[in-house]
Amino acid sequence: MGMSVALDSDARLAAAAKVQEEHGLVRTAQAGDRLAFEELVRRYDREVLRLALNLVHRAEDARDIYQEAFMRVYKNLHRFRFECSFYTWLYRIVTNVALDHLRRRTSRKEDQAPVPEDSESTTRDFFDRQPEARAAANPERNLLGQELGEHIATALNRLSPRERMVFEMKHYQGLKLRAIGDMLGTSEETVKNSLFRATRKLRASLECMR
Amino acid sequence: MYQEESDGLSSTACGEFEIKLSLLAAGELESPESEEMQKHIQSCEGCRTAFQQESEVLALLASHRSEPDANFLASCRAELFDSLDQQEERSWLRRLTGSFLPASWLAPQPAWSAAFLLIIGFAVGLFGPRLLRHNPSAVASNQNSGVVLSAVQPVDSTSDSGLSNSAISSLDLHRADVAGINVLPAGDNQPPQVQLQLNLQQPMTVSGTVDNDNVKHMLIHVLQDSQRNDPDVRLDAIDLLRIRNNDPEVRSALCRAVHTDHNAAVRLKAVEALDGAEPQNQVRQTLLDALVDDQNPGVRVEAINELRDMAAKGEVDSDDHLLAVLRELIKKDPSVYIRLQSAAVIRDLGPRQKF
Repeated sequence: MGMSVALDSDARLAAAAKVQEEHGLVRTAQAGDRLAFEELVRRYDREVLRLALNLVHRAEDARDIYQEAFMRVYKNLHRFRFECSFYTWLYRIVTNVALDHLRRRTSRKEDQAPVPEDSESTTRDFFDRQPEARAAANPERNLLGQELGEHIATALNRLSPRERMVFEMKHYQGLKLRAIGDMLGTSEETVKNSLFRATRKLRASLECMR
Repeated sequence: MYQEESDGLSSTACGEFEIKLSLLAAGELESPESEEMQKHIQSCEGCRTAFQQESEVLALLASHRSEPDANFLASCRAELFDSLDQQEERSWLRRLTGSFLPASWLAPQPAWSAAFLLIIGFAVGLFGPRLLRHNPSAVASNQNSGVVLSAVQPVDSTSDSGLSNSAISSLDLHRADVAGINVLPAGDNQPPQVQLQLNLQQPMTVSGTVDNDNVKHMLIHVLQDSQRNDPDVRLDAIDLLRIRNNDPEVRSALCRAVHTDHNAAVRLKAVEALDGAEPQNQVRQTLLDALVDDQNPGVRVEAINELRDMAAKGEVDSDDHLLAVLRELIKKDPSVYIRLQSAAVIRDLGPRQKF
């Protein structure tokens, strides 16, 4: 018992030190230090790109979200008042950019059309890439994987942008519902409902694939 | 509260527990409720099936996730940092124009601002050329000698030393990436004008001739910092420094580049640039080091060529170490050319030398 309290306390101290260090870095970046800003980018950009890639499923769209989000962070860094963690503040911007992107895409008819093949692997739908690595080994499995990928893409497309965002942030970014609510500027209850709706829709769409 | 939707799913779960099942699968159910739910799942087949279905769907989705690969991430980063460079450049220009044209005054009074801009344009067109004709030395003096730091404000440097040392040293050169070096040839045996484009908070250009010590120091800095400066820029720096290869600082920087630069082309060019540099002992030792240690055959060929030139001109003092290295090269170097040239160097050193 005594040991676990000590460990908890150590972990808290380490977390506090980390937050302090990060706030120091943000202050340096706010003062105009470009290297400090680049360090902040390097800390979080893989997660941001992963979130974007799994939300939009197209490398070029993910790249646009990444660029726009970090440019907004750069332009608005002076507005960060240390009232929440930098991570939360960053994710508010990232989720806003990604949601705008998803909404724009939903409202554009051409996005419903199949994506033309591109020679660059990075510009193709990530579902297309899934079976390729195994194609030589097992063509049948490749075909099944492709079908499954298409089903999953269709299922995810049935979700509203917000449901998709909540589902992604909960299950794949590992965030708590309260933190998601903070980032999306809504209540925990609303996030809970969005998550439930998303899960229910996905279960319905993928029932035949299980 | 959650509103029922017609989504085509015939759930087997009890209505009042359905949302809790999702929360349990998401790890969001707190302690007493979590245990209650677990107990209920064990006793209720419908909820157990629904929970299992939910877990399977999550596992299925997890198996089809995408991870950004390192190249993709790197290209996104590079693009972002380029955009930031452009953004910084634009905001600097905006600040500069803003200081001349106060937007707070111009915006609410469009008629006055149009007239004001017309007057400024007219005045610049009328008097600008005259001013330039009256004061030709203002431009010439910047170009003839010394160093000019431009971008924020052009500094008039009429003295021989150009921009003061303090102005140059006030720049944080260790953080300045040099984006490029432009060389503007000058006639009548004059040294060429060099322009170094610095990537600082505000992009700047430092210009002057290689004869100027500030320019020399910046070029040496460019050559030494292989982490920040591209090989192309380092190669340009060597090209410019070679005309001062008898300067101790330049010679040391070139020798260091031969020993330490990661890029073979840069090492090769540094070997070339040492041609004719004195004292010969330091140069000779650097060439021998390159011959022994450098993995790149091109660099070794250049080193042996230069050593042979020095030997042919009688600029190399023969000693046991030199001969031992050359004999080792004759025996072991994978390049036939280097083996032959090593033998030729021994021959050039004097008829008494034995293989």
